[in-house]
Amino acid sequence: MTDQDDSLDPIIDILREPAELRSDLTERVMSAIEREPSPTVGEPSRVRWWRREWSIRLTPLHALGIAAGLVGLVLAARLTGRTDAPTVPSGARTMTQFVLIAPGAASVTVVGDFNDWSMSATPLERAGGVWSVAVPLGPGRYRYAFVVNGAIWQPDPEAPAADDEFGRANSVVTVGGKGT
Amino acid sequence: MIRLRPIVPLLLLVVASAAQAQEPRLAGRVPEAARAQVDAILGAARNRGLPIEPLVDRALEGAAKGAAPGMIVAAVTRLRDELILVREAFGNGASTAELTAGASALRAGATGAALSRLRVSRSGRALTVAAAVMADLVAAGVPADTAVGAVLALASDADDTDYLTFRRNVQRDIALGASPSAALAIRIRAAVSNADGTASPGTGSTAQGAERKRKP
Repeated sequence: MTDQDDSLDPIIDILREPAELRSDLTERVMSAIEREPSPTVGEPSRVRWWRREWSIRLTPLHALGIAAGLVGLVLAARLTGRTDAPTVPSGARTMTQFVLIAPGAASVTVVGDFNDWSMSATPLERAGGVWSVAVPLGPGRYRYAFVVNGAIWQPDPEAPAADDEFGRANSVVTVGGKGT
Repeated sequence: MIRLRPIVPLLLLVVASAAQAQEPRLAGRVPEAARAQVDAILGAARNRGLPIEPLVDRALEGAAKGAAPGMIVAAVTRLRDELILVREAFGNGASTAELTAGASALRAGATGAALSRLRVSRSGRALTVAAAVMADLVAAGVPADTAVGAVLALASDADDTDYLTFRRNVQRDIALGASPSAALAIRIRAAVSNADGTASPGTGSTAQGAERKRKP
């Protein structure tokens, strides 16, 4: 290049100087690339949004909060004890009386579909030799039995018998709704 | 700051679901040998949209009665199968109480077809008491097909109170010495006549929705 214009020499000298790069250049370029949507020819933007990989940022505190929320949901379901429609509707309930004449008994409880068959949930109260308790029940058919002195299973002699698959007889009570 | 990939919340959800899959009320009560199988049945029932409450009750009943693990699993499985049949008859909108009562009726001898007819006859009305009375009548000694026929005969007009009164009167007649079939025949004639407005029902006292069991 012999016929080069001398006026270009200063510019050439400047360009020949090594460029000074900022130390965070690589990081800035990469993050700019990340922000760019991936070119997908022919796809509408809504479709691209669903196909795009996503990531979220959160602090460890936020992660703990999310985890605590999930645990709370599980615990709430456990405490309520049911995840579907309840056996005993939350609507109108009828006080249903359970009575057993057992003068010699030291304790009587009623166990059944309405109390998880718990021997401690529904004790009967004594009045002379008559034991009784009133339980609010929604419309339904409930199987139950009395447990005398914590060990002796006894069906209700005044109630219909119910099917039993475990070798200890049940009784049954049917509670109706109002005018349904 | 940490970055959370989509897989992480999914994993969290899986963990939460797994925790949910175990029924806490069975813990410490149902024998461990039956627990896993019962939990599996409950999980499958939940996935099918069946109510798990009656199944949990059945497992807890078995546990309270000291039944062997195999008996508990068999009882829960049988009830699950009955609930499936009843739901087919009553429809997906059936309540837990309706499904439970229908399962009792099935066990007493009613067929799925009979329960479907009950659903049609009592369209838009609760089926719990009608199905329960089917089972109660059979338990009182009435032949299953006769009990089903009686309940269906009353289905279009009777409300819950009518059904309970009808059942109570049949049981009373049986207690007084009538044969179950004869008691039912007399009471069904009276009830149908009453519904037609052609005769007095002669059904005695009327229940007000409550069952009261009392020693004389």
